[in-house]
Amino acid sequence: MNNFLQRLSGITSFAMSTLMVLVVLISLTTPFLPSNPTHAVQLHNVQTTTGRMMDPYDKTSRTAEYARLTFDVDADLSSMFNWNTKLLFTYITVDYQSSNGFNRVVVWDRIVRGKRQAKLKLRKHHNKYLLRNFAQTFEGVEGANLTLIVNPVPYLGVMYDKTMSSIPFSIPRALKAGGKK
Amino acid sequence: MEFMAQANKKFGVRSLLVQGLTFLSVLTSAFMIWKGLSLFTNSESPVVVVLSGSMEPVYYRGDILFLHNGYSPIEIGEVVVYKVKEKAIPIVHRVLKVHNDNTSGKQFLLTKGDHNDETDDRGIYNPGQKWISRDDIIGRVKGFVPYAGMGTIWMNDYPQLKMILLGTLCVLSLFSNE
Repeated sequence: MNNFLQRLSGITSFAMSTLMVLVVLISLTTPFLPSNPTHAVQLHNVQTTTGRMMDPYDKTSRTAEYARLTFDVDADLSSMFNWNTKLLFTYITVDYQSSNGFNRVVVWDRIVRGKRQAKLKLRKHHNKYLLRNFAQTFEGVEGANLTLIVNPVPYLGVMYDKTMSSIPFSIPRALKAGGKK
Repeated sequence: MEFMAQANKKFGVRSLLVQGLTFLSVLTSAFMIWKGLSLFTNSESPVVVVLSGSMEPVYYRGDILFLHNGYSPIEIGEVVVYKVKEKAIPIVHRVLKVHNDNTSGKQFLLTKGDHNDETDDRGIYNPGQKWISRDDIIGRVKGFVPYAGMGTIWMNDYPQLKMILLGTLCVLSLFSNE
């Protein structure tokens, strides 16, 4: 056991095994660290118009119905930052039932990098991503919900989501010229 | 049979063969574990290295991701690894939109890299392709370890490293029995 290479290989294999045990322990324990985030979402307004937006990859976007949401978010997510939290990926989804099935889309997201940015106070924000149905119109769409979700990304370990507030709402149809729907 | 006994005494043929067999069984066990993991996770590659920076600051180049595909439908917000049909590069991005079609049982998914501000992945899908489907997904990211895959990144960026590493391994194995 005097050879330099033998000692090096002994140290390396011990280091590897220790690291692997640590990785497993950290991954298993991080999701159970306590946190008490406060969260509230308020929806002010939903306006549906027929799109003038041009998605360069989607020819149907010119005639599709788009819904524009105006919402407030009040949340204090700073308690979700523990020693193993790299950032919080916060996002808001809209889910609804259509004639084809269940749909869910992300309408807003933000990467919260630290405790200082974790106090969200959004006033009259709009959706970042255009909200339209898979089909051309919102016909047959019902049971919509606006949900705030946080994905705490660790420095090392398991990925999971934590659902915060969820409020139901309905998506109106666009008014055609002359006031008829 | 006599010449074989003599060869064994002179050159240690049997011990060489036993060494070779041990080496082969280590290799095949590793291969079996890898394939077994692929079957368990229903993923063609249950461990991947992040190659691009399109998911920064969530994942960086060199992070190792552990994937589980399974058979359940993809849900919103999951970070998935997928391949665009007929392209060989796996891409790690987050699911932005999920539309389910009950009649066909298909899912229409749109993905976006966390670093690509407000630009979804339609630009990297095939021309005319607006959605990817459930079977384009290799797996969802369940866990990850940072920096552990930097070796793969260096080997890809500097192919000379591969040669140097192979060379050193050969030299070391030649001298290990002294």
